[in-house]
Amino acid sequence: MAKSAIADAGIRLCINGSEHLLQIEPRVTLLDALREYAHLFGTKKGCDQGQCGACTVHVDGRRVLACLTLASQVEGLAITTIEGLAVNGSLHAVQEAFIRHDAFQCGYCTSGQIMSAVACINEGRTGSDTSIREYMSGNLCRCGAYPHIVAAVRDAAQAMDLGEGRGR
Amino acid sequence: MSTTSSESLKSNGAFLGRRIARADGVAKVTGRADYALEHDLADIVHAVIVESIVPSGRIGKIDLAAAQTIPGVLRILTHADALPLKSCPMVPAGSVMESFLPLQDDRIRYNGQPIALVVADSFDHAIEAAGGVRVDYQAEPAVADIDDPTARPIDVPGAPSSGMGRGDAKGALAAAAVRMEATYTTPREYSCPMEPLGTIAAWGTDGDLTVWMPSQWAEGARRAFSEWFAIPMEKVRVISPFVGGGFGVKVTAHADALLAAMAAREMRRPVKLALSRPQNFTGNGLRPAIRQNLTLGASEDGKLQVIIHENTSETSVDDDYVEGGAATARVMYAVPNLSSSQKLVRVNSFTPSWKRAPGEAIGAYALESAMDELAYKLKLDPIELRLRNYASQDPESAKPWSTRRLREAYDAGARAFGWERRSPEPRSMRDGHELIGWGMAGGAFPNVHTPGEARVTIAADGSVDVASSGADIGGGTYTILAQTAADALGVPFEQVRVRLGDTSLPRAPVAGVSQIANLLTGAVDKTARAAREELLTLASSHAGSPFKAKRANDFTIKDGKIAPTDGSAEAVMISEFMRMVGRDRIEVTRNTMPADKASSESEQRDAYDSFKYMGPSSATHATYAWCAQFVEVRVDEDYGTVRVRRMVGAFDCGRLYNPKLAESQWKGGMIMGMGEALLEAIHIDRRYARITNNNLAEYVVPVNADVPDIEVISVGEPDFHASALGGKTVGEIGVVGAAAAIANAVFHATGKRVRDLPITMEKLM
Repeated sequence: MAKSAIADAGIRLCINGSEHLLQIEPRVTLLDALREYAHLFGTKKGCDQGQCGACTVHVDGRRVLACLTLASQVEGLAITTIEGLAVNGSLHAVQEAFIRHDAFQCGYCTSGQIMSAVACINEGRTGSDTSIREYMSGNLCRCGAYPHIVAAVRDAAQAMDLGEGRGR
Repeated sequence: MSTTSSESLKSNGAFLGRRIARADGVAKVTGRADYALEHDLADIVHAVIVESIVPSGRIGKIDLAAAQTIPGVLRILTHADALPLKSCPMVPAGSVMESFLPLQDDRIRYNGQPIALVVADSFDHAIEAAGGVRVDYQAEPAVADIDDPTARPIDVPGAPSSGMGRGDAKGALAAAAVRMEATYTTPREYSCPMEPLGTIAAWGTDGDLTVWMPSQWAEGARRAFSEWFAIPMEKVRVISPFVGGGFGVKVTAHADALLAAMAAREMRRPVKLALSRPQNFTGNGLRPAIRQNLTLGASEDGKLQVIIHENTSETSVDDDYVEGGAATARVMYAVPNLSSSQKLVRVNSFTPSWKRAPGEAIGAYALESAMDELAYKLKLDPIELRLRNYASQDPESAKPWSTRRLREAYDAGARAFGWERRSPEPRSMRDGHELIGWGMAGGAFPNVHTPGEARVTIAADGSVDVASSGADIGGGTYTILAQTAADALGVPFEQVRVRLGDTSLPRAPVAGVSQIANLLTGAVDKTARAAREELLTLASSHAGSPFKAKRANDFTIKDGKIAPTDGSAEAVMISEFMRMVGRDRIEVTRNTMPADKASSESEQRDAYDSFKYMGPSSATHATYAWCAQFVEVRVDEDYGTVRVRRMVGAFDCGRLYNPKLAESQWKGGMIMGMGEALLEAIHIDRRYARITNNNLAEYVVPVNADVPDIEVISVGEPDFHASALGGKTVGEIGVVGAAAAIANAVFHATGKRVRDLPITMEKLM
């Protein structure tokens, strides 16, 4: 098998607090780095074009689309994926609220919705349902769980305000 | 406030009928649910499809030289050297499964057709090389779409050209006092599940094929691989425990699955083939464009005398796919004379497939829009017109309805919506510069049944395993089957584990036509009851049993404990009892085939891997789910922008096994209906018969900010003609009627009747 000359450069990614040394080319997206090289499949590929939000992860606490981010851009930064949200098996307040409100059906957009929701709460965009709807609109859900997503985000935001959750 | 009448029913057990959170919820919110492309296999390689960029003609020369210089490229397959395949005749006339087989000849049928497959050591290398494949085409004229000047409607091959019907439609129309005729057009629409199509395929050294793919019908996909590669069914295993949305496109295996398996065989290595999002538009998952001409004739007091429903829909070059819009019109109203006909237009497209509520969704849009138009013509309230034509039995078959709580749906929906405050005149309600429109529509979805198999295993520790190859595409199969088994066995819900979506498990038919919940709860209930009987037979007869009672029905099982009903002995945990009688498991498999066919292997195979046994759920009664939907829209008077302000849906879906999950499906359906009404349309570049908006930014689906609060109401009651446990269809009825309710609301707001979906702002200016 021909081996690419540029494939030898390793990239160090800090994912969910663990360091991963990945042998990937500079053109590899963060999304493919997570899924195909770090074997963390919780982050989903819905479009690979920055249009659906399924690949939303946090980089230094900000929500980004992993499909529009090169892995090499985020070397040394703190990457959080859905796998890193629950701590010691205890679900994040947003994860709990999504289950309670049945805020998903097929589950494929759910990782991205939840990562967006955590960021949306931390950004202070959950003051009204209208605001939640607007700031959660980068995440498509074809099953149509939107009303329940709004309810879950509203609920989780309140829980995190009360200190029940562990939002940053 | 949602109400669920099933919650008050005595027939409810400890778990069925309750608002239980999804059994697969934790897996889905933690990212641990393993979808098809999420399996690590040693030595795996990546494949990328090269598509035709012309819609019709022949492939001339394919130049692979540049592509082959890309590092990591292992193989490029074309029609010149690809493995010959056998056709798979499992589904007639291209219904849901295209007959087209990729890389078998040089003929091009549609723009986007797979014409080469690049296999490389990484996804990026395969993508890069795919872009380097050079193709000379001998292009030929193409029919781009239903509106193409060269498009020619034809009769459906094999079907009577006169269509179907009852009474004397022509005569009744001539005699009708009031007539209304209109043509409603709907564009190509896409299922667009959030998980794109993609496949991992691996061949074993013994010729076994294992496939990971998202499938609504693992048994059907298994049959397809068996036919394509001419290998026994037993050699194929399809694994699909989680499906990231289906809505019809994942009913059968498509070219991606076939090509992944073909490449894996060539390479003797596992192959991962992920379709790009644009390739999901240019290859699969299409509801064809349709024209529906509807003519209604009525008496002056609003009694329908006749419906004439003429449909013309697109199909592909190869197949005769029929998106029949007439089914709803045939059953919705007590109309004595009806004729419905269907024509097809062959276009250079891939074969269409089902999209959620195929036929019913667009059929109800046209019928319920026409009824609204007739109501205005007669100066009748739209609900009053519907009540004057209420069908007290199935007007098509003259059979009694099993249950039809449509009147209750009209009532409950209207009350929740506040319909009595509606001012009937168009443009008569406004809020500042916004015109307010209130519209309503009804809908029907047939109850279809196919037999299924299930296995229930009680383990030594008292836990219960339920196994079926059937799918959970988001409807909640995992959850309701655990509820079913827990109730039938008398064990806690948490003690039941459900495994799905794997052909190594007992067989199930397609998760489509909204049938899977009803048929699998029936199969699991029957199987779990048999397992319970085996357990209690041990309790009454085994030497190690601590009980003195001698008949199985002298026992009860509750909370996972067995006790004699007369209280003569202490209750014993199932795990403890299993130890006492020396059993490490009780395993029972049952099917729900008709009794005379239950033991025939060939009949069973036909039931699970074809549509042979799919049929109405009752021989004596007409069984349908029903709905009434109510919508408020706000239309900006200056710009013509339409916003949906609120939606109310009242549904008769029989008994609800889990109202929490059923409500989610109804709301999701209504939102998909909103997309059909206001947003979704494929645009085609006529020059190249190419889809121009082949992505999720330009094929516009509803986003969170488009969707208002939605109220759903259950008015159903258990219907044991519809299914073993009393439920009717849930998954698709939410779509049916939603688009018409919105279109009718837009007319009420603006006085402008748009008969061409989606209703975009320029059509209102």
